[in-house]
Amino acid sequence: MNDTASAETRPAPSMRREPFTFTGTGREYFGIWIVNVLLTILTLGIYSAWAKVRRNRYFYGNTRLAGGSFDYHARPVRILIGRLIVLVVLLVYNAAVQFVPLVGGLIGVAFLFAVPWFVMRGLRFSARMTSYRNVRFDFSGGYWGAFLAYLLGGMLTWGSLGLLAPIASQWAWNYTLGNLRYGDRPISCDPRLEKLYGQLIMPAAVLIVGVMALLAAAAGVFILASGLELDFDQQLSSDVGLFGILTAVYTAFLPFFLLYVLVGMLYRAGTRNIAFNETVIDGRHLLASRISRWRFAWIAISNFFATVFTLGLARPWAAVRMARYLATATVLYSAGSLDDYLSTVKDTTGVVGAEYMDVEGLDFGF
Amino acid sequence: MVSDPIVGIWHPPASSRAVAASLHVGEEGIVQARDVDGKPLSATPGLKIEVSDRIGGIVRRLTFLDGSVFETPDNDGVDKALKALKRRPGVVHELERFRPRLALFVIAVVALSFAIYRYAVPLLVEAAILLTPPVVPKLLSQSVMISLDQTLLEPTKLSQQDQAAIAAEFGRLAEIAPRGAAGYVLNFRGGGAVGPNAFALPDGTLVLTDELVALAGSDREAVLGVLAHEIGHVEREHALRRIYRAAGVAGLIMMIGGDIGSGAQDVLVQGAALMSLSYSRDQERDADRYAVQLMHAAGRDPLAIARFFDLLATKLGDSGYADSFLSTHPPTPERIEDTRRYAEEVAAGK
Repeated sequence: MNDTASAETRPAPSMRREPFTFTGTGREYFGIWIVNVLLTILTLGIYSAWAKVRRNRYFYGNTRLAGGSFDYHARPVRILIGRLIVLVVLLVYNAAVQFVPLVGGLIGVAFLFAVPWFVMRGLRFSARMTSYRNVRFDFSGGYWGAFLAYLLGGMLTWGSLGLLAPIASQWAWNYTLGNLRYGDRPISCDPRLEKLYGQLIMPAAVLIVGVMALLAAAAGVFILASGLELDFDQQLSSDVGLFGILTAVYTAFLPFFLLYVLVGMLYRAGTRNIAFNETVIDGRHLLASRISRWRFAWIAISNFFATVFTLGLARPWAAVRMARYLATATVLYSAGSLDDYLSTVKDTTGVVGAEYMDVEGLDFGF
Repeated sequence: MVSDPIVGIWHPPASSRAVAASLHVGEEGIVQARDVDGKPLSATPGLKIEVSDRIGGIVRRLTFLDGSVFETPDNDGVDKALKALKRRPGVVHELERFRPRLALFVIAVVALSFAIYRYAVPLLVEAAILLTPPVVPKLLSQSVMISLDQTLLEPTKLSQQDQAAIAAEFGRLAEIAPRGAAGYVLNFRGGGAVGPNAFALPDGTLVLTDELVALAGSDREAVLGVLAHEIGHVEREHALRRIYRAAGVAGLIMMIGGDIGSGAQDVLVQGAALMSLSYSRDQERDADRYAVQLMHAAGRDPLAIARFFDLLATKLGDSGYADSFLSTHPPTPERIEDTRRYAEEVAAGK
């Protein structure tokens, strides 16, 4: 992409600014949520398919833009079938790993190569089941795009210790947003690499400072502990000792893990801004995102602790809080009427891919 | 029975075009959308119109037979119209309304979660085991044996006499177990990287390594004690139980995952992994007790297995085997003491 192209992705003064809003409330969602959980438990999981549809419809339906709202159209029975298939696959895989580590490994590799296919189908299902103003979205991405975005991108990020993460982000956003279609019109998303690299600087600095601070703290704790002359040998030899060690390992790694999560969130929030700001719908409407990276990380982390410390009860409030923040930080600059779009999608695609996305916590929504 | 008009927006089939419209239920139960001038846009018999479920305050969608859609935030109006058409509005929304009753739901969720983990999961595991055809463990075990032979294990170097002696004594032990001597096949192998080890596959195939026999030295009873422990794993179907349980817990977490967020889901997955550690430790304890009972019933020394643990702890404590019997069967002082006490009880009781 060259500079003239990026100039095109800046909103012109004649465009109408349409902010996204989220109209759901924690109080209202609490009722939906607790009934979802209760019925899911009572039916040993069967209701979870219905729960997913109600949850998604609540969040999509409360996401409003230019007087219209989004909606989710999946049929619970199809989701249930998808979940059952995934469950059986997991069961077979578990058995294979348990009994035949070698074959399990082979299946694992095969599974790895199937992941892009699952991701592709999952994105397509989610897109086709989503509508805005009575027009369905669609997704035209193929296998190799998903292979790049999810497998190779992931390996690149890990293998380079995050230094090549922007390349992976470029692939991922290009694949997920750039292959989306609204009705029969394309959506393009071309985040430029140097801009994505710009989003890496601050999180990288946080990572370096954070690791140094944690190592200094760990050294301090170690010096204190060795002063106490604990008899580690004796602790090792008992069952209580095993749990003690596990607890110690978890406590020691938790700060590093939290730092890693924080850095990941800061970076991802930054790339969302870049990617949305270079997204063009139907060649004329522009998307824009203005997330504050620290505010996003604060909401996500405080949401997590609020949920865990209330044994899940704060989850409805937390989910609504995040949805509201993401909506208020997102804007559409429309270049004209949104009236002339036509839906081309019929309810036909399989749901197994979408369920795999759920299993892996990759659930991709708007 | 003509209800008040409901105000909303009408979309032509599959189109984003929005027309300000109102909805009317006519005398014959025909539902009709009209534009602001009162001109009809679409009509469908009330029993055939598709009405989306009521969820919170989101707009309600009514789909006509021609595919056009009427949308309205007037949920109460739609429910009233549905009643007029003798159609039942959804019950779930009634449950979901923010009322003091929700506090009861919270209590029910907590109690049920506990009950499911404590009772329903074990029950489902038992059901799954009953429903598993015998061919499943057989096929699994055969393929494991083949892959183990190709990779880790070596041919045995034990003399024919030693093999025959151990096999004969093992046969007398297996005879008393419910599956009988025919239910078991004892294999001798060189342990290679797995060192002094013994393990059982779910179809009754047992493997005993030369290194373990050598470790026990002249104490044959100790070798039999270990084999009795492995028989215990087979008789109690520990391997299948572990798999079904892991799958069941993973399934439950998966079902609830979307409702609790990915962070809390990760916490649950980690918690489940920790719990499964303690679960497999319980299985080892169970197999120990089984071994003690079986040895006693066979007229053998029930203390043999405890003696073997002692041997392991002293002789193998600092040996180089990373993946020996030790790592899967840690002979902690508690475990040795438990087994010894139980063995003495059993020996004294009968």
